[in-house]
This record gives sequence, C-alpha cells and structure tokens, in this order.
Amino acid sequence: MTAVSAPAASTAPLIKKDTVIDWLGMAPFIIFSLLFLIIPTLYLVTGAFFTPEGEFTFQNIADLFTPSIMSAYWISIKVSLASSLGGALIGFFLAWAVVLGGLPNWVRSTLLTFSGVASNFAGVPLAFAFLATLGRTGLVTIFLRGWFGFSLYGTGFNLLSFFGLTITYMYFQIPLMVLILTPALDGMKKEWREASEILGATNFQYWTMVAFPILWPSLLGTTLLLFANAFGAIATAYALTGSSLNIVPILLYAQIRGDVLHNPNLGYAIALGMIVITGVSNVLYLMLRMRAERWQK
Amino acid sequence: MKGSRIGAWIAVIVGASYFIIPLLGTLEFSLRMRRGVYSIDAYASVFTDPQFRATFGYSMLMALLTIVFGMLLVVPTAYWVRLRVPRMRPIVEFITLLPLVIPAIVIVFGYLRMYNSSSVLPLTGNAMGTNILLVFSYITLSLPYVYRAVDTAMRAIDVRVLTEAAESLGASWTTIMFKCIFPNVMSGVLSGAFITLAIVMGEFTMAALLNRPAFGPYLQLVGANKAYEPSALAVIAFTITWLSMGLLNLISGARRGAPAR
Amino acid sequence: MSFLALNNIQKSFGPVQVVQNFNMNIEKGEFISFLGPSGCGKTTVLRMIAGFETPTGGTLYINGKDQRPLKPNQRNIGMVFQAYALFPNMTVYDNVAFGMKVAGAPKAETDSRVKEMLGLIKLDHLADRYPYQMSGGQQQRVALARALAVKPQVLLLDEPLSALDAKIRVSLREEIRAIQRQLGITTVFVTHDQEEALSISDRIVVMNAGKADQIGTPFEIYNTPATRFVASFVGTLNLIEAEVIDPASNCIRIGDQDITLKQSLASYNGGDKVSLALRPEAGSLSEGIKSDTALTGQVVSAHFLGSVIRTRMDVGGNVISFDMFNSPGVTPPVAGETVTLRFMAADLLVIRD
Repeated sequence: MTAVSAPAASTAPLIKKDTVIDWLGMAPFIIFSLLFLIIPTLYLVTGAFFTPEGEFTFQNIADLFTPSIMSAYWISIKVSLASSLGGALIGFFLAWAVVLGGLPNWVRSTLLTFSGVASNFAGVPLAFAFLATLGRTGLVTIFLRGWFGFSLYGTGFNLLSFFGLTITYMYFQIPLMVLILTPALDGMKKEWREASEILGATNFQYWTMVAFPILWPSLLGTTLLLFANAFGAIATAYALTGSSLNIVPILLYAQIRGDVLHNPNLGYAIALGMIVITGVSNVLYLMLRMRAERWQK
Repeated sequence: MKGSRIGAWIAVIVGASYFIIPLLGTLEFSLRMRRGVYSIDAYASVFTDPQFRATFGYSMLMALLTIVFGMLLVVPTAYWVRLRVPRMRPIVEFITLLPLVIPAIVIVFGYLRMYNSSSVLPLTGNAMGTNILLVFSYITLSLPYVYRAVDTAMRAIDVRVLTEAAESLGASWTTIMFKCIFPNVMSGVLSGAFITLAIVMGEFTMAALLNRPAFGPYLQLVGANKAYEPSALAVIAFTITWLSMGLLNLISGARRGAPAR
Repeated sequence: MSFLALNNIQKSFGPVQVVQNFNMNIEKGEFISFLGPSGCGKTTVLRMIAGFETPTGGTLYINGKDQRPLKPNQRNIGMVFQAYALFPNMTVYDNVAFGMKVAGAPKAETDSRVKEMLGLIKLDHLADRYPYQMSGGQQQRVALARALAVKPQVLLLDEPLSALDAKIRVSLREEIRAIQRQLGITTVFVTHDQEEALSISDRIVVMNAGKADQIGTPFEIYNTPATRFVASFVGTLNLIEAEVIDPASNCIRIGDQDITLKQSLASYNGGDKVSLALRPEAGSLSEGIKSDTALTGQVVSAHFLGSVIRTRMDVGGNVISFDMFNSPGVTPPVAGETVTLRFMAADLLVIRD
C-alpha cells in the first residue's frame, strides 16, 4: 500500500503515521454523520429519559401510554401495517407476473422503470393526485356516479381517513415491493420446480413446500421494510388530511411546532418510540434478507 | 401454462391501473379550472405565481448545493474506504443506512433542539445558518442512495490500480481525486445526483420545520388554499420525478450494458 | 418391446429441428450414456423422457406404457440436474424425503427409506445439514439419493458431474455406477465428456446435430467408430485421407504409398476419396511386432510423455501420431528422420463422413 500524500512516509520513523492518515481521510464523514445524524438522534433518545429540569425519569415513557398518544401510535401502526400488507400482496403478484407469468419482456422493463419512478413519487404531490382522483370531485368518484350511479362517498368512504390514507400509501408501497421482490423471484431456480415436478409434486405442492418457504423471508422482510417506510412518512398524510388524522408523525409535527403536549421531553419520548418501531422493523428486515440470500446462493 | 399467463396479464393490468388512474385523475383535474371546458388556466395560474418561481428556484438551488457538497463528502469517503480502510466498510455502510431507519421528522427534531439559538452552534439563529442546516439535512436524507450509487460505480473500476498509476506519474492528491476518481465514477455520481434532485424537490418535513421557503411547504400551502392549482403542481412534480428517475434509469441501464455482470 | 423405447422421436423449436428421427431401445437395468458436444440435442432427448419437453413427433414408451399423455409428475422418473437443484429450505433428510412426502407415503416408511438412501450415499451423518452447508460433491450425492428414494422406473442424469472438481468427478462417477448396479435401475446419463461416457456405460449413444451417429458399447464406439464425427469426438484417433485405387482388391493410396485394406471397398469407385482411422496405440516403429502393413514418413515431432513416447509423422500430407511404450532400450526418433510405421491392416478402418 502506498501512502497517498506523504513521499516522506518511508523515512518517517513514526509507526502510527499511516493510521493517522487513514483516520484523517475518514474524519469529514465521521464528523458529519456524528453532527447531523447520530448526535441529534441520541440527543432526543436521552432527552426522553429526563424532565425539562434535567432530572432522570421514566415518566415520559410512561406518558406515552396515555390514550391520546397510544391512539396515535395505534392508527399509525394500522395504516402502516395495512398499506405494507396491501402493497406486499399486490406487489408480489405483479413481480410474479413479470418474472414467472410468461409475459413479453417489454412489460417487465416498463413495469420496473415505472416502479422506480412511482416508489419515489411520494410526499405532498401524491396527496394531490389522490384528491384529484378519489376526492369528492375526483375523476373516479365522478365517473362512478355518472356512469354507474354509484355514490362512492355514499358508502361512507372518505379519502381523509384510515382507509383513504392506506390506499394512498400503497401507491409507493406496491412499486417498492416490486423493485425488491423481482430479484428475489429471479433467484428462484427453474430446476427447483422441475425437481419437485419429477419427484411427483403438484403445482400446489411446489408452491407450498418449496417456492413459498424459500420466498417467505424475502416477502416478510420486504413487508417490514414497507411498514417502516410508511410509519415514518408524514408529508402525504399531512397534505391529505391536515391534522385531522392523528398519526404519530403528525402528532410529533404538531408537538415540534407548538408543544401541544405541554412537555417538550414527551416529544422526545414520541420520537424514541418511532425510532424503536422503525429500527426493529429494519433490523428484522436485514436478518430476514441475510437468511434469504443464504438460501439463494 | 395458459391459465397462469392470463392471471399474469390480470395482475399487470390491475397494477397498471393503480398506477395510471391517479395520474390521469390529476391531469384531468388540473385542466378543469375553467368551468365546462378543459383549459390550462391552472398551469397559467401556477406559473405566474411569484411564490411558485421563488420556492421552485430556492429548492433547485438547495438541490444543487446538496448534490455538490454531498458528492464532496461521499466520493472521497467511499474512495478512502476502498483504498485505505476497508475494515471501516461495515460501519460506514451501517451509518449510510441509518437515514432509512430514523424518520426524517425525528432527525429534524434533533436539529431544532441541538442547533437552536441558545446552543453552542446556533445554526437556526439566522437564515444563512438555517439554509446550511437544510442542505446538510438533505445530504443526510440522500446518503443511503448516493453512497450506494457511488460505491457501486467504484466497484466497477479498480481504484487502487488507478491511484497507483496516477501516483507513479507524479499526480498530486487533488489531481487524483478530481481528474481520476470523479470522472471514472461519473455514472454513480450522476445517478446519485438525480435521485437527490427527486428527493429534495418534493421534500416537505425538513423545510417546513426549519421554516425555509422551499417547494415542498409551498405545495402544501397551495393544497390547503386552492382547488385546481395543486393538481397542476402535482403534474409538474411528477414530471420532475419522471425526468430525474428516467435519466437515472438511462444511466444505470447504460452501466448495466457494460461488463458489470 | 424394450423397457424404454424411443421411436422416431422428433423435436423442433419453431423452425429449428433440434432432434431428428431419434431411435433408441434401452433394456431394463442398462446404463446408457448420451454423448455429444453442447447443442447436439442430448439434453433435449433427456428432457423429453422426463416430460419437460413434448416431442413434436414419434413415440415414447416406458415399460410398455405410452408416456406422451403423462405429465412429469405422473411418470415416476428420477432425475439429477447439473446444478444439484436441492431445495435450499430443506435439510438433507427433508430433501430425500420430499418425493415420498408429496406422494403421501406413511411416515415410518418414508423414514426407513430415507435412512436407507442416506446409507447408500454414505451421508447418514449429514442428515440435518442444509444444502448451503455442503460441498458440491455431497450435494450431488444427496440429489442422487433424492431421485432414487421414490423408486423410479428410470433414472436420468443430466451432466451431473460437470460442475464438480476433476478429482470428485472421477470418484463420484464410480459411486454412481456402483449404486446403479446395486439397484439395477435403468439409467440414462448425459455428458459431453468422452472419458466419462467410456468408463461407466453399458452402451453409448454418440449424438451429433440432433441425430444419433452411432450406438454401441464403449469398446465398439472407441475401436470401430462409424463416422468421422464419432472418431474425432470420442478418441484421439488419426484420420487419414486416402484415395481408392481398386475397389475390387480393397487397394487404397495414402500419399504415394499403396495399401490393401481388410475391409471391403465394394461400395466405392476408383478415384473416390475415403477417410481412414488408425488408433495411436495400433502402430509401432519396431520390426519385432506382429504387422502386415507399413507406412513410411518423416518424423514431425516426438514428445516424451512419461510412460509413452508420442511421435507425430507426416505421410503424404497426413499427420499420424502413434504411441510407443517407454523403455530404456528405446531411442526416441528425432524430427526429420525417415521412419516406417508398422501395423495390422485390420486396424485401418474406413469411416463414413
């Protein structure tokens, strides 16, 4: 290995010189990530265990379990779970269709390109798109009323609700699932199917005993990733429902803006709760992915 | 065989309508401003709004700064990890994944508490400091995507051989970095840049909570107060995403054509 | 009718005919190899026997039963794939038990059968391992056990050794042959490696461009190749171009030397070109060996290969190589030297193109 910046390195008696250069090169990144990622997060995490006066306490954590905060977590979990499960299910069928469905190649490349775009089409504009489509004067709402005499809002449907938010989130959840699951399905070897067939297995037995057990770590892992993805999202929900739907990120947003809970450190506890939930989902996702990759080698 | 193909077509058609109908709905809605006929009034209204131009320009500038400074941070780091400190790789990769785990709203919450006007580093005390903080927050948000893109591009070239060749010709450190490494990982830098552009242009949380006049909060504001303009804005935003991601796909597609696989 | 009878099998993919008029009768317990270069159609024939491909013409019977209407999972055939294809989510035990399980066999019966199979491949101690924890050779033995566990009527082996190291390849092929003999199972083995095919088969089908060029025992295939392709693909045979001088007396000319063959040339005319094959070990420079024919030429090169000396000589534009056993008394020929190669005329064979 050659020292990049020091022609004198060979004559220098300092044993540690290379090590110092190594660390100097890493310094900008380490300082940046400490200052703008790790310390701010740790600041909140530790803040969750202190009173505003600086005394150690578990009261903030205990206060999370009050009905209003709990209901926010509960709605968030429900929306994230529903949109990730829905996204996973539809995404799986789409990925299956393009990988194993025997469709022409252009369908696959179009779908993957489109998924790359759609999975990044989130935030405020996504809310506008769904308002324009499924809002009270949206295209689909009017179409259903005009052509079928079917009143969507008459059924109790409301875009600014749990269900409305779920189907809006699925707009970026489905393509994300397609993007992650397509390579996993590509990894399903043709020989596994043929081996099971020649051993006498039916198509159903192949799916239940071979294909699905091989795929489930990928499926479950990706669903968890989608869950975390939805759980942290705020812009779409805020633009769609204002503050009428009380999900955790919106509660935290209100707390940051105006201390609606009248306890700044309770805000830290809410943030900690979010990190724990998204963190656990991500760690499980990574573990499941490692398992899936081990099998598909 | 036949049955599964029909099922596949059904799945694709259902999925495609899920993607396309909201886009059609938005487009149709954005053209409905004038009663009874389709018109581009909503777009005219948007484009003549000085606020639109101001916030759009501001976010573009922020995106540009994010790309430049983000690359100055990520490319040398990825290079250094490959060349000198491979043992740091797992740690660096873990850190670059963190922004996917920690929600943006939590990160910005931390900023507001750590860099408020009474802290050691009162970045939020004035507009310039807050702008800097916003750029840094965007660098953080795009870190997972940018680092991956650059590192993948770096895997395709042998940075060690390239460095040693340049050194043997007497190149200085800056020459190696900007004349050898950057141009050779250009595909990674570009795809990182486009995804950053897509993220920054639509970003809401950071800008809103740092109170900066960015495009995201402007969109939200219009959405709360106007009827047809939001759809026009959504069409514009979607076009931007399409352009960035389309270019990204073009670049990564071109790279995939290369010997990588 | 033979146990496994392929009659006039055809297969085309669109306009491309990959298998043409393939006929083969395999007796119960036989070990047959399909030998040929990649793309010769050997794997396609195997996959038609398995039922993964449907023949576009011809008939296929196993044990007197028409197989064409049957799906792969109704044929009771065992198959081993080149890339092992073990189920990665199952242990060795579960992989071997899979066929019994899907057939709904009783647990106790499955258990004893799996144990018997694992004993057969000597991997009883690895029953709880997963495929990714094993070497390629071990995985392929498990794949063999899995295929045999269902007591198939026919065992199909699709280049099962190609992905393995040279050393394991030899030991595993011997193991496969031993197990096959022990169970007496009718086996079709696809390979592109002539040494592999020669060493383990009862009979070999040499395939070329979708057709069977020759069917015969390894001995016949090697010693009396029927076509030019078989001669060049299977062995290191010398191919010599010659001209027919007199069909009636079986006289041919190589360069400017006339030779009388033992084989009849009745179907040829004077002046026809023919190809002749001569095994490298059939000739010698020494006068002491039993010979009735000789060719004179110049030595091109002589290579000392340890136990043998391989000499290449030029006879009227044909390069003929032959091997002499090494012994301290032998002086290797030198390049440029004029030598006389002696052999039996019966060893010089006329080959079809």
